[in-house]
Amino acid sequence: MIRFENVSKTYKNGTPALRNVTLDIEKGEFVFLVGASGSGKTTFLRLLLREETPDVGRILEAGRDIGELPKWRVPYLRRNIGCVFQDFRLLPNKSVFENVAFALEVIGRPRSTVDSQVPQILELVGLTDKAKNLPHELSGGEQQRVAVARAFVNRPLILLADEPTGNLDPANSESIMALLERINRTGTTVVMATHDKALVDRMRRRVVELDRGEIVRDQVRGVYGIDEGVAI
Amino acid sequence: MRVYLRYAFKETFTNLWRNRMMTVAAVLTVAVSLSLVGSALLLKQSAAQASAQWQQGTRVTVWMQPNASQSEIDSVKTQLTSLPIVKDCQYFTQAQDYQQAKTLLPADEWSVLTPSATPSSFRCVPTVPTDAFTVQSTFTNQPGVYQVTAPEQQIRQMNHAIRILQIVFLALAAVLLLSATVLILNTIRMAIFSRRREVSVMKLVGATNWFIRVPFITEGFIEGLLGSAVAILAVTALHTWYPLHNEFALNASALVGTNTVVLVVGVVIGSVGSAIAIRRFLDV
Repeated sequence: MIRFENVSKTYKNGTPALRNVTLDIEKGEFVFLVGASGSGKTTFLRLLLREETPDVGRILEAGRDIGELPKWRVPYLRRNIGCVFQDFRLLPNKSVFENVAFALEVIGRPRSTVDSQVPQILELVGLTDKAKNLPHELSGGEQQRVAVARAFVNRPLILLADEPTGNLDPANSESIMALLERINRTGTTVVMATHDKALVDRMRRRVVELDRGEIVRDQVRGVYGIDEGVAI
Repeated sequence: MRVYLRYAFKETFTNLWRNRMMTVAAVLTVAVSLSLVGSALLLKQSAAQASAQWQQGTRVTVWMQPNASQSEIDSVKTQLTSLPIVKDCQYFTQAQDYQQAKTLLPADEWSVLTPSATPSSFRCVPTVPTDAFTVQSTFTNQPGVYQVTAPEQQIRQMNHAIRILQIVFLALAAVLLLSATVLILNTIRMAIFSRRREVSVMKLVGATNWFIRVPFITEGFIEGLLGSAVAILAVTALHTWYPLHNEFALNASALVGTNTVVLVVGVVIGSVGSAIAIRRFLDV
């Protein structure tokens, strides 16, 4: 589904963000991306969205080199990738329903699709009764569920999550994780960058650890990090 | 497509309303500058038409000295009638000129005139309007001739004045058009700024670049359109109520032509302003 081939990226100010990264992510996989701040997790996600292009190497998504895409095709690439962020990025003056519907409207989906898809996805994230509320009337966990609904309403092949639980308490983090798992079970590939050690340790999914732009660990059923004194 | 049109429409008007103070400023500047452009165009057409009409009936008047002898008068008359460039000539006696002066001059001026102090005159029509000058130079220093006047000079002076006025109008209009473009650019820039969240979400979920751009372009377009609509009203009012009489009066087609130019210029500056704003401030 996603393939990085010897990808390196250095920002203009000279800090290397990724160094010679080679990685394969299969369709339907759930991957945690861990590592300290500045280790290259966000750059990894930005490259997938083609908000950045690699200096060296190729990135393939669904078998296609996304570096070869002409600029005007990039929006179509992004329609296949859902995104969730730590800060939710909801539109404050739109209701829950409108926020989710917005994602369909701006890619030109007809009203009938919006009217059938949005209630369905709100049902999935458990916010049917809050459809008319504005984001500021919801808790953080609920807001993030709206963001997940918006990311998934178009049924993307890939879901990227950049620290989705970073602003949430453990209980809400738990419900977001459950939601991401459910989405993953529909066959959607999920890549999640996180700092949440407890979460990663409990989930026992594939863990890719980045350190100063390099992959230092790639475990199939990994944990967040190796505690001092504990052998692998 | 229908979904999109409705979306673009809604967004455009939301933007216009949200920044309504800027919108009003931009529309008014467009309106004022285009009113000047329109007036300058009307003035130009009006002046061109008037001078064309005047030239049709150009007359040269050879004024004789009041004390010119009969032989001098006869000599001038013979020469005038034999000249091929003079089409037609009429002699006005001193008494006739005195009567005409009475109707043309204010009372305090003609009251000092007496028939014997009034010059007699030949009123001539040259075959070609520009020949008026040849007649003028031929007869100015003839014995018994007081003065030869050709209205061509006045027409030229007037045309000159009108041309200067027109240049001033157009220069002002150019400056104002530039500021109108910048104002439109600025309103679009503010609209882009106030909608940066929406724009970032749109990019994220894969809205195409044109989908994001079009509402901003239509916003500039509509500002230009509204501005030119106001200017068209102003130009039409000027045409209808300003006393442009006789030779200056323009027909309806001149007005329609002028208003078309005003409309096109308005729409163009609106679109150009927003296009520049989008290129510089909308990162898609």
